[in-house]
Amino acid sequence: MRSLALAVSALALTLPGAAQVSLSGADEGTYSLEKNHAFLTWSVKHAGISDYIVNFTEFDATLNFDPENPTASTISVLINPLAIETHYPDAEKKVEWHDKLTKGDKYFNAEEFPEITFTSTSAELTSEFAGTVTGDLTFLGVTKPVTLDVTYNGTTNVPWFGQRDLIGFNASTTIDRTEWGLTANGGAVSSEVQIEFSGEFLQDE
Amino acid sequence: MKFNIFLSSAAGLVLAACGGANTPSAPTTEAETPPPVAKTENSLHEKLRDVAAADYSLDKSHAFLTFSVGHSGGLSQYRVNFTDFDADLDFDPTNPEAAALLVTINPAAVETNYPGDYQGTHADSPYETWNEDLSQNPQWLNAGEFPEITFTSTGINRTGDLEGEVTGDLNFLGQTKPVTLDVTYNGTANVPWLGERDLIGFNASTTITRSEWGMGAFLPLIGDEVTVAFTGEFVQDE
Repeated sequence: MRSLALAVSALALTLPGAAQVSLSGADEGTYSLEKNHAFLTWSVKHAGISDYIVNFTEFDATLNFDPENPTASTISVLINPLAIETHYPDAEKKVEWHDKLTKGDKYFNAEEFPEITFTSTSAELTSEFAGTVTGDLTFLGVTKPVTLDVTYNGTTNVPWFGQRDLIGFNASTTIDRTEWGLTANGGAVSSEVQIEFSGEFLQDE
Repeated sequence: MKFNIFLSSAAGLVLAACGGANTPSAPTTEAETPPPVAKTENSLHEKLRDVAAADYSLDKSHAFLTFSVGHSGGLSQYRVNFTDFDADLDFDPTNPEAAALLVTINPAAVETNYPGDYQGTHADSPYETWNEDLSQNPQWLNAGEFPEITFTSTGINRTGDLEGEVTGDLNFLGQTKPVTLDVTYNGTANVPWLGERDLIGFNASTTITRSEWGMGAFLPLIGDEVTVAFTGEFVQDE
């Protein structure tokens, strides 16, 4: 929850004023992830003393958004577990580490499970622009429900997309990786995984 | 509490706090281990016990430094990872306020998430990738002219057992201005491959106004407030 609070406070700093966030101006319809403005990270506590951050670099999402009735919106997310970035200064060792993390059968095991998916099943509003989205997370062949804390950040139009609306969200959740069978390095790496997303969705043509 | 103290851990490791003489096999402290040592050690927060007063260097494989900025008027937080940075920390667990931190960041080494066709959509750009554009473009990090970003701590205000504000000089784009980091000390660990050298971990964050350092491009579509966040580990020098 602390991370969410930080994300929200950071967001507040970047907005001229919260009053600018509005649902009016966003069309009802299908939106696709604007992949050049989207970030999805996975972080675990390492040795109990730092956060180890993995960036997913290839993921997509389709959102059916209803601004009049946001809880009727649905989303499906697809993540490629082979495509990650970490910070590892030694280039050769980095390749080894990424191979292990993505393909290792104790880690993301991406050759056997080449997709991570999240499909929403319900949503609730907790305030005008924030809510929870519950859905099924399929990871390592196991499907379990997960609830995301989501903040709607507003809508805008930019010249290069013409009339197509852009809308933006932050989302975060914490999962227990062992529930999906990811138990490796249980001593040095936390079971809790903080998942964070910030990004934009573009109205389909 | 300016005098230096010797810390003695449960493992019998004795570490000198003064002059960087951190040789674990030198228990030359028989005359200098008065009762106050144990008292001081016990009065420390448990996460600060058994931590050597020493020089520490960044464990670069367990360190993350990002900056993020509101994009499209705050619709999303645009996230940039620095991938080449280093830091030296002089840390005494009994006197954290006296710690000194020096950070150097290579602005030519950044990573973003940009799966799109950069060259296809930036036909006139002299850069091959968006990351290179961000690093080298004079309107962004301008790494060719300013190849180093540095932060040098100047003072520490302790706000809790494990929290404090570290103020220092941030040299960025050729300008030096004070910045205050909110820092949390996360604790210590020992791992087999580092032997008796201590590992300590921190999170730190701050918000700066980029235009104050002269970076005004794309305001206000891209926000002026930049959130800088660090999490990582430091390993005791040998």
